Amino acid sequence: MIEVRELYHSFKIGKKGKEKEVPVLKGLNFAIQKGEIVSIVGRSGSGKSTLLHILAGFLTPDRGTIMVDGTMTTSFTESERAAFRLATYGFIFQNFQLMPGLTAFENVELPLKLSGVDRVSRKEKVKELLALVGLTDVQHHYPNELSGGQQQRVSIARALITDPPIIFADEPTGSLDSETEQDILLLIQSLNRARGITFVIITHDDTVAETANRIYRMHDGELKEGGVTHAI
Amino acid sequence: MQFNDQLDFVRQHIKKNKLRVFMTILAATMGTAFLIVLASVGFGIHDTMRKEILDNRVVNEIEVYSDQMDESMAEKLKKRDHVKAVVYRQSMNLDSKTALDGFTGSPPLIITDFKEEEKVGFALKEGRLPESSNEVVVGSHFAELLVKEGENPEEPVSYKEKLIGKQFTYQMGFYEEKELFPEETKFTIVGIAKEPAKDWLQDVNFYADATILPSLNQIYQAHNEDEESQLFYGNVKVYADKLENVTRVSTALKDEGFSVYSIADQLEQMDVFFLAFKAGLVFVGTIAILIASIGIFNTMTMAVTERTREIGVMKAIGASPKLIQRLFLMESAWIGILGTVIAVILSYGISFIANMVLPIIVSAALSEEDLGGVDVTFSIIPWQLVLIASAISITVAMISGWRPARKATKIDVIQALRQEL
Repeated sequence: MIEVRELYHSFKIGKKGKEKEVPVLKGLNFAIQKGEIVSIVGRSGSGKSTLLHILAGFLTPDRGTIMVDGTMTTSFTESERAAFRLATYGFIFQNFQLMPGLTAFENVELPLKLSGVDRVSRKEKVKELLALVGLTDVQHHYPNELSGGQQQRVSIARALITDPPIIFADEPTGSLDSETEQDILLLIQSLNRARGITFVIITHDDTVAETANRIYRMHDGELKEGGVTHAI
Repeated sequence: MQFNDQLDFVRQHIKKNKLRVFMTILAATMGTAFLIVLASVGFGIHDTMRKEILDNRVVNEIEVYSDQMDESMAEKLKKRDHVKAVVYRQSMNLDSKTALDGFTGSPPLIITDFKEEEKVGFALKEGRLPESSNEVVVGSHFAELLVKEGENPEEPVSYKEKLIGKQFTYQMGFYEEKELFPEETKFTIVGIAKEPAKDWLQDVNFYADATILPSLNQIYQAHNEDEESQLFYGNVKVYADKLENVTRVSTALKDEGFSVYSIADQLEQMDVFFLAFKAGLVFVGTIAILIASIGIFNTMTMAVTERTREIGVMKAIGASPKLIQRLFLMESAWIGILGTVIAVILSYGISFIANMVLPIIVSAALSEEDLGGVDVTFSIIPWQLVLIASAISITVAMISGWRPARKATKIDVIQALRQEL
């Protein structure tokens, strides 16, 4: 599904003219199979977030290739990347990244609007997904009227709304208490099983990482497979 | 994203910052209204002057002067292309006296060709056109010039009786001599000409056919010693068949050595002047819109800055840079469109009030009741002006929104997502 080859990336730091190049990703090679939940675990500064940003197309790597279902995503223009993201990826962020001016319903609806889906079909789909994540009762609430767990569920519903084959989750439970964390992780696992969605979870937390079928450990810009797990 | 959803999106964002958007729309409205009202004064003055010129004159009329002008030359002019009529009016260089039932006066005699006059709108209020040399048509105010002493010697009485069918006598004489020639010519009034179009114009002439010329000439020659002097002098007006042919006919006549004057020449010069004048006013008005555009630029820049995180989220979930740019351009265009619509309505209101109030103020200041009989229009807003002002206003609004919109497309997703709420 996702095949990464010789992926290099570095950041330039310091004043202009006296910049210093800091390598962040040092020739990564790995593959993620369809329907897998893969965790990429690492400490702060290990390069795991940079890897996610490159996989998602937010950042262009210095070198290397990423193939998603046979499509080379690293050579895309910005517009192509945006269209590919809309059709192929879903995102779950640590701080939910919901639109504060939109209700839960409207937040979930947003990717469908961007895709140009008509109002009637959108309404049906959003209702279905809000029911799936258990938020029917609060669909007209604004994000600041929802709990952290509810906000993350809205975020998950939004990620699922376009039926993407891949969902990237960046510290999905980072802002939640342990009980809510378990609920969210169970939801991810059930979605993976029921819909066959591939999840790529970026985390520093081993407990979260263990949700995955496969764990990659990121250390100092290098990636090592850290074993296979089946469930929490 | 469907167009309706894009509009919804823009509407939602405008709702969030009602006051700021309102102030920006107000600035755009003021700028555009200023442009329209300012230029409307140019259109108003232009229209007033055109009306003034056209009301007093026939548009397709060309005055032709030549030392050799006589009836045969007038006949030749009639045969030219695009000439509808040639009116050759002849007047006398002499003193005269007209007497009717004891009332006397000196109304001018004009010798003309009634067939040609009829072609260019000479119409009668009463009676018929002359059929013999001693029949005449009198002007609508002819009778007012015939007076006799009343009870009060300082207030003479003018003729009030019916004119049609009446006979009057006509005597000629030299200005420098006390006595007029003793010969009297009798004329019978068979028609009264229609009043001139303008209330303040008076037609006191009486019109006779050219067949009277030999008998009048005979009288004149009997008293005249200077053989070279002429009794009549002529004035020729050529009428083009259509307005668009006036220039063609007048140019051809000029090329042949005639002195020519036509209303079309005057209108053309005036139109060129007013075109430049109106362009100048639109330019000054555009400066006001440009000033308002600074407001739009600020509003849109702040909108982009405030929504950095939202733009980041939209980009992250798949909004294309083009869509982001379009949404912001639509927002600035909306400000421009709304500002323009309000400005157009406001301008029509201001224009209406100006046309109602300004004549009163000006005539009060000039201590005249009706501005000297001139129908002054201070402000006119033609659809072309609305179109020009709208195009300038909306274009300027979109240009001011363009840079902030570009800035929005350049927002880095990663940086934007790191921003706190």
